[in-house]
Order: sequence, then C-alpha cells, then structure tokens
Amino acid sequence: MKSNRKIANIIAEVLKYVILIAGSVFTILPFVWMISSSLKTPAELVQVPPALFPEVPQWLNYKSAWEAAPFARYLVNTIIVTICTTAGVLVTTVLSAFAFSRLNFPGKKTVFSLFLATLMIPGEMLIITNYETIIKLKWIDSYRAMIVPWISSAFYIYLLTRFFMQVPESLYLAAKVDKCSDFKYMIKIMVPMNKQAIFSIAILNIISSWNAFLWPLLVTNSQEMRVLSNGLVRFQTEAGSSTELIMAASCILVMPIIIIYLFLRKYIIEGVTRSGLKG
Amino acid sequence: MKMKKLGASILATIMAASMLAGCGQSSNQTAETSADAQASETTEVAADASTAAGETAGEKTIEPTEITFWHYMTGNLEETLTALTDEFNSTNEYGITVTLVNQGYASDLQTKLQASAAADALPDLTQAYNNWLTPYLDKIVHLDDFVANDFDNWDDIVEAYRGECSEFGFVHAVPFNKSTYVLFYNKTLFDELGIEAPKTWADVEADAKIVSDAKGIAFIGYDDSTGAIEATLKQNGESFVDETGALFDTDGGREAFEYLSNLYSNGYARLVGEDGYFSNVISNQNIASYVGSSAGVSYITAEGWELGVAPLPGNKVNAANMAGTNIVMFSQDTNKQLAAWEYLKFLTSTESTSKWAVSTGYLPVRQSAYETAEYKAYMEENICAAACYEQSKDFFYSPTFDASNDIRNSVSPAFEQLVLDKADAQTWFDTILSTINAQY
Amino acid sequence: MDKKSFKGYLYLLPSIIIMVCFTLYPLVRAIIMSFLGDYSIINDSYNSIGFENYKALFSDPDFGKSLINTAIYVVCVVPASIILSLLFAVLINSCKKLKALFQTIYFLPYVTSVIAIGIVWRWMFNSNYGLINYVLSIFGVEPIQWLNLPEYAMPALIIFAIWKSMAFNILIFLAGLQTIPEDLYRAARIDSTPRLRVFTRITVPSLAPMIVYSSVIGMIGAFKVYNEVFSLFQGKAGPANSAMTIVYYIYDKFYNSYKYGVAAAGSVVLFLIILALTQIQLKVTGGRKK
Repeated sequence: MKSNRKIANIIAEVLKYVILIAGSVFTILPFVWMISSSLKTPAELVQVPPALFPEVPQWLNYKSAWEAAPFARYLVNTIIVTICTTAGVLVTTVLSAFAFSRLNFPGKKTVFSLFLATLMIPGEMLIITNYETIIKLKWIDSYRAMIVPWISSAFYIYLLTRFFMQVPESLYLAAKVDKCSDFKYMIKIMVPMNKQAIFSIAILNIISSWNAFLWPLLVTNSQEMRVLSNGLVRFQTEAGSSTELIMAASCILVMPIIIIYLFLRKYIIEGVTRSGLKG
Repeated sequence: MKMKKLGASILATIMAASMLAGCGQSSNQTAETSADAQASETTEVAADASTAAGETAGEKTIEPTEITFWHYMTGNLEETLTALTDEFNSTNEYGITVTLVNQGYASDLQTKLQASAAADALPDLTQAYNNWLTPYLDKIVHLDDFVANDFDNWDDIVEAYRGECSEFGFVHAVPFNKSTYVLFYNKTLFDELGIEAPKTWADVEADAKIVSDAKGIAFIGYDDSTGAIEATLKQNGESFVDETGALFDTDGGREAFEYLSNLYSNGYARLVGEDGYFSNVISNQNIASYVGSSAGVSYITAEGWELGVAPLPGNKVNAANMAGTNIVMFSQDTNKQLAAWEYLKFLTSTESTSKWAVSTGYLPVRQSAYETAEYKAYMEENICAAACYEQSKDFFYSPTFDASNDIRNSVSPAFEQLVLDKADAQTWFDTILSTINAQY
Repeated sequence: MDKKSFKGYLYLLPSIIIMVCFTLYPLVRAIIMSFLGDYSIINDSYNSIGFENYKALFSDPDFGKSLINTAIYVVCVVPASIILSLLFAVLINSCKKLKALFQTIYFLPYVTSVIAIGIVWRWMFNSNYGLINYVLSIFGVEPIQWLNLPEYAMPALIIFAIWKSMAFNILIFLAGLQTIPEDLYRAARIDSTPRLRVFTRITVPSLAPMIVYSSVIGMIGAFKVYNEVFSLFQGKAGPANSAMTIVYYIYDKFYNSYKYGVAAAGSVVLFLIILALTQIQLKVTGGRKK
C-alpha cells in the first residue's frame, strides 16, 4: 500500500515537471527567437529553412539600434514616467480598494459598478478627447501629461478589492476594538498582508507604463520628452522593416523590466511570511 | 448646438454629483472658448493667406520666427532631412528656424494630426497624404497666391505631383517624398530562362507561363492590391473611381479584370500573405517579380541573385501609381506663413530636391532635377531610379474624396477573397464593382 | 455593522478625480457622438440627431462579421486561458526548487512589446518553415496555411492570444495561492486527502475571487482585442478581413474612415454587450460562491 503510494507520488512529481517544462518551452520559445533574430543578418532572417541561431552573432545590430534614436534620454524619461505612474497607481489603488472592501458609504455599489464600467469602453475611443483635455490644460510636452491620466485604474482597484475582501473581517473588528484608525489599519495590516498582490499590481503597471506607445507620442513633441517604446518604430517604414533591428531594440526595451521583476520578486516576495494571516 | 458644450454640461452634472464642481467648471469653460475660437479661426486662415502672399509682391520682410515641421522620416531619411533643414536654418536671411519633429510611423502621424486638428494644435508644416486631410481641409492654408507670386517656376514640378497637390480645387501642398510603383525582378532567373522584363500584359502572361513551367513559382505579385486594380485599369485606358462612383463598367474595364483573374487563377500571380511584403518573398527567390514602391528597394536582400528594376508593363497605354506624401501648411499667423513658405521653396528647389533624392532614393519633385549632373550620375548606377525616371511621364494619382478611404479599405479584402476563391473574370468584375458602389 | 458615512469618498477622491476627467468625460462624449449623424470631431458639427449611426452599423456586414469573430474569440480564449493558467499556477506553486525560475519564465510573455512578439509569432505560424507546422508534421499533420487562409486566421489568433494572456492569469493565481493558509493544506495532508480533492475542495474555492476576477477582466479584455490582431497580421485584419474584431472595426472607422459617429456607436454597442455579460457572470459566480 505504502510503496504504491510512493510510486504514485513519484510519477505525479515527474509528470508535473514534464508538464511544466513542456509549458516553459512553449512559453519561452518566442523569446529565444526574439533574441536570436536580434543577432542575425537580414539574409539569415528570411532564410529557408530558418536556423535557430545565427552563424555569427551580429552584435552590431544592438549598436545600430541603440544609435538610431537618443535611447539614453528615452530611458531616463521612461524611468521617470514609470516610477511616478506606478507610485500614483499604488496610492490610489490601495485607498480605493480599502474603501470598497472595508468602508461603508452611500452609493458604494453604484460607484463600484461605474468604476468597473470604465473598463468596458475601448481606450481607442477616449484618446482624442483626452488629447484635447491635455492641450486645454497646457500640459503638452510635459511629464505630467504622460503620468496623471494613468495614475488611477479600475483594473487594479477591482483586483486589489478582491484581495482585500479575502482578509477576514474579524481582523478589522478586532482593530476597531483596539481603537486603531481606519487609515492605520490599512497601512499596518492590509498592505503588508497583501504584499504579493500589491507587487503584482506594481509589476503589471510598470510593464504597461513601460510599453505605452501611442499616448506618449501624442502628448509630446520634443525628442527630449519621448520614451523608449517610441524608438521602436524607427525601424519600420511603409515599404518594409528592419526586423533584426526591431528585435534588438525590443530586447533592449525588455531587459530592464526583467531585471526589475527579478529584483522586486527577490526583495519583496521573499520577505513575505504567511504568519500574518493566522490573526 | 455644439456637442462639446452638451458633453461638458452633462459632465458638469456628473461631477457635481460626485462633489467635483471645481474640476468641471474649468473644463466647461475651456470647451466653450475653444469652440468659439475655432469658428473664427477657420475664416481667418484664408484671408491671412491672401494678405501674406500679397505682401510678398512688394518689399519682403519676415520677422525671425520658429516653424515646426512634423514628419515620419526615420534613419537615413531623417538624417538627410535634418541636414537639409540645418542648411536652411543657417543660411536663410530672415532668422527663420525650422524645428523638425518626428511623430513616429506614418499612421501615428495621421492619428496625431487628426487629434491636433480637433484640439486646434496643428503644426506649421507637416507631411501628409491627401486622404488624411479630408476631415480638416478647412484648416489648410491655401497656397495658390504663394505659388503664383513667389515660386520659381511651378510648371517645373512634375505634372502628376502638381495635380495631386491641387486636387481639392486649390493648391494645398507641395510635393516632398515621392515614389512610384515599379517592377522588381530576379534578373538572374530571367537570364537563365531567357526572358526579358515584360513591357506589356502579353509579355507578363508569356513570361509567367515560362517561369511557372520551369520553376513552379508565381511570376508576379502586388504589394498594394487596390493600387494594382487602379493601375491595371489605367493601363487599359480606363479609370477606377471618382466621387460619383465606379468608372470601369466598360469593355475596357472588363478586360482589365480578365487579365487579373487569369493571372491569379493560373497561379501566375499570388498574394503576399504571411510574408508581409513581397520584398521578403523575392529575397527568398519564391517569386520571379513583383510590383512595389521604389522606396522599398533597400528591403530586398539580393544574395546569390541579381536584382532588376523595370517600369510597369502596360497595355493600351502605360500607367504607374505614385506614392509618398506632400507638405501641408497650417500656420495661422502671416509672418509664420511667409517663413514656412521660404522653407518650402528651399526644400523644393532643384538643388535640394536632387540632394534629397540622391541620398534617400525618393524621386526628385522637379523636372529640372532630373537634368542635373548629380542626379544623372546617380541614375547611371542606380537601376531603380532609372526605371522610375523612365515611367515618370506615366504617373497618375488616386483621387481623394469622401468615400475614397472606404473604397481602399474594402477593396483590398475583397481582392484577397477573389484570389482565394480563384474567381472568374465576371465574378471579379461584379464583386469589385458592387464593393465600390456600396461605399457611397 | 458600521454605520454609513461619507468618509469612504475621501479614500476614493483621487481615483474619482482622474476617472471623471480622463475616462467618464470622454465616455459621455462618445455616447453623445453615437447619436449624431455625420459628426465631425474636428469642428463638432453634425447633421442630425438620432439612430442613424446605429442603423449604418447594423447594416454593415463587416460589423456583423466582427461581432461573430469577437464572440468566437472570447468563448475560446477566456476559458482555455484560465484553465491552463490555473493548472500551471498550481503546479508552479507546488514546486520547491525551481519555483522562482518557472514563475519568471511563465511571466515573460507579458513583458514584451507587441510589435516584436507579433513578428515572432508570424514566424512560428509560417506555413513553410514555421515551428508550429514542424511540430505538427511529427504527428503526420499536413502543413497548415495559418496566416494565408481565412479559415485558419481565427485559430492562429486564438493560439497567440492564449499564449499572451496566460502570463497575467498565472501571476494573479500565484498571488492568490499565497493567501491560502498553509494550515488547510497541512490538515489535508494529515488526512491524506487525494491531490485532486485537495485541488477541488481547497485550492479552487480559495482562489474563487481571483478566478472570478480573471474571468471578468479576461472577458472584458478579450472583447476589446485589437493589438493582437494588428501585430499578428501586420496591421490588417487577416486574409480577406477574416479576423476582423469589434475594436479593429471601431478603430478603422474612427481613424481611417473618419466615421466618428459610427465608431462611437460601435463602442456603445460593445459597451452594452460587455456590461450585460459581466452582470450575468457576476450573478452566476456570486451565487455559487456562498
């Protein structure tokens, strides 16, 4: 009996890793291809059948891509915009999610539905009106034009509300008895207990802010205010595109995010202990 | 009446409800003022233009000023434009500074112009295709007086470009980065099979049969399928569309579709499909030739074979589509208009346009530029430029009117469906005709 | 329990200000726009007030096609993505050694720019030398013209979209799994409850809020699919418009045909569809939960 079970366990373990590794291959292959394409010559890119790796890695592609636009300046702008937007998003999201999950106020359901409804309209429809607003505010060509419209998102508020609701109500009531203010309770208990969710929101927002393309292009005019993703279009024209350079630029674009992800993961997630949940 | 006001007042109500009257008020006010401003500005533009041009006849005075020019040029194209602009900035006698602003990819520039027209924040100058301009034609500065009073020989500008730049009933632009559709072919393959670049439809059909029998690959493809229909009709002496409807319900029109239908149903022509651009297909030697923009020549990788370029084959006549944008002016202030015009004159001068053409592969906008030693030497070694020049008398442009975008957008998918269905000539004719007429 | 007060609005204030200015106002404007005939966004002019745009919309066969395509897309992508993500998230979470590595790998699809990854997927779908056809050929499947034939355009889009959306769901589910008290699992282990039952009795119910979230957000996102189409088919809507989706249609009408009113009407229709479906979804899942 016992040994049967052991064997079943081993089989299950092996099967688990087989599935995970197969899934990983499927997931990661496009990346491997992106990196290998960034090191190919134009001829190697269209060669039939394609080779997974270039004969001689063309590191020069990275140099050409980097030099095609003032990427160093773009990088600084991207970092500023991303940090400010993400900080703003975290503040507004935590506050709103707390209000929706713990506080009682008139019209709560209506406001929540209205928030959710804002997600249902395609953003493409909103762009021109928002652009007009930015022009009227005289914010054109400034960081705030790129930051302010994006510091609140129903998408994340809804997510964090879900997480906050998971926290047992009893904790809140106990805190009330201890005369702990709502705000203090939110900062001291809710936030630390949902670190992983907040981290997820931060990373999701960092990525969307990092990759934002059309909006920064619309609200800026000078090279000094542009962001990294605006540099990507430099390798495409109406008549064709330099795929190897697009790939090289995309790799440059993606690397910082992967580093941020790993960094945040290590320092935030690993610090989370589950003991807080036992309350 | 004004919708913005209506929207703003509804907004104000909502915001009052959510205790945000402050924010509402300010946006309400700005909406009103801008709507009012718009109404008066549009009438001023035309007046400004005539006074500005009138002044140029007498003593010319232009105050130092800054002009913004939105473009979508990248890489080498942008470098060349920057070099020319720097030259203008440092040499002009009025202290005019032109600032170049790259606005991304062509479609991004299109979107940004549209948004800026709505927000009344258009630049002084911009690159634009005619079909982008229809929603805000009334904001464009009329250039007729400038051209009449202060331009060095407008008739020297290539005829088809002049036509395109005045198709709305007034001169709305000057030509800039122009290109044309040419036939790119695999010369090595042609030599091997003993065929020449086709000059007529009959040549295309004969050559295609040889290639198909010997190699089993398609002979020809078109990067722009709507453009292919239009060019084929023109080559048969027919027209495609105008603001009243389709114009090809004639025997000549039917012949054109017979030609296209035969090419595709015999496998002589193919769609680009997953390869995106035919430059990729020919680079792999999977097609013998294709019709594409001369601006795309640098994306063809000819490794192990030699590239040939020829004018488009014709039938009753020769005809070739042209492509590329023109420069449009939106400045509202008289001084800026004069300054911007100085820059446009500089960019379209024989010297600048041939410099631009030699360094970018775009076509010169002036006849006289083709005669310069510089450009002649360039054509000696650049087969693509030579082929473009050879057909420059046959250029035509696609007319722009209310339905023209919709026609372009709906004909391409219909074209693809017909090819996939291996449709006969009658079906081709009927489908394209009804697709077009449904857009009016 | 707690009496109602307006204090909640103090917490919501920052979000409300931003949303009213940058989402609600344009939204209201779009709704009004949808009832104005021949509306021009440039100078705010229009010819008539009424349902003209809606009539134009519903008599356009392309819009009908886009509705059907979008429906197929939503029905295929959302459940498949959630089920696969759930499976992978639970498996990753149960790993001891390689957890961090797998977590990072499965998150990668979310990170990259759509432009680049669209090009990569075009290569993978290539009928001659694409990886997908190569793998299929091992199982004796004839090469499929994924991107060349209308009948395969939607399947190709759906595969691409599942790949792309899984990363987000896995991230959310992994975050959700952290909140499940270890005690529950420990108790199950002591009782030697079978794995499957642990999964259905503990994991899934505890993850229910995240699953509801993912399915609601996933559905809203899937209804708004645009970038995936644009990048996979190089700016077109697939061969002969076979992968035309609602937002692609709206975008095209707005930015290329300048039919602002029709585009706005399309957005309102899309909005109503999503609104109705999320209400049903929330009712169904909400009812089952307690």
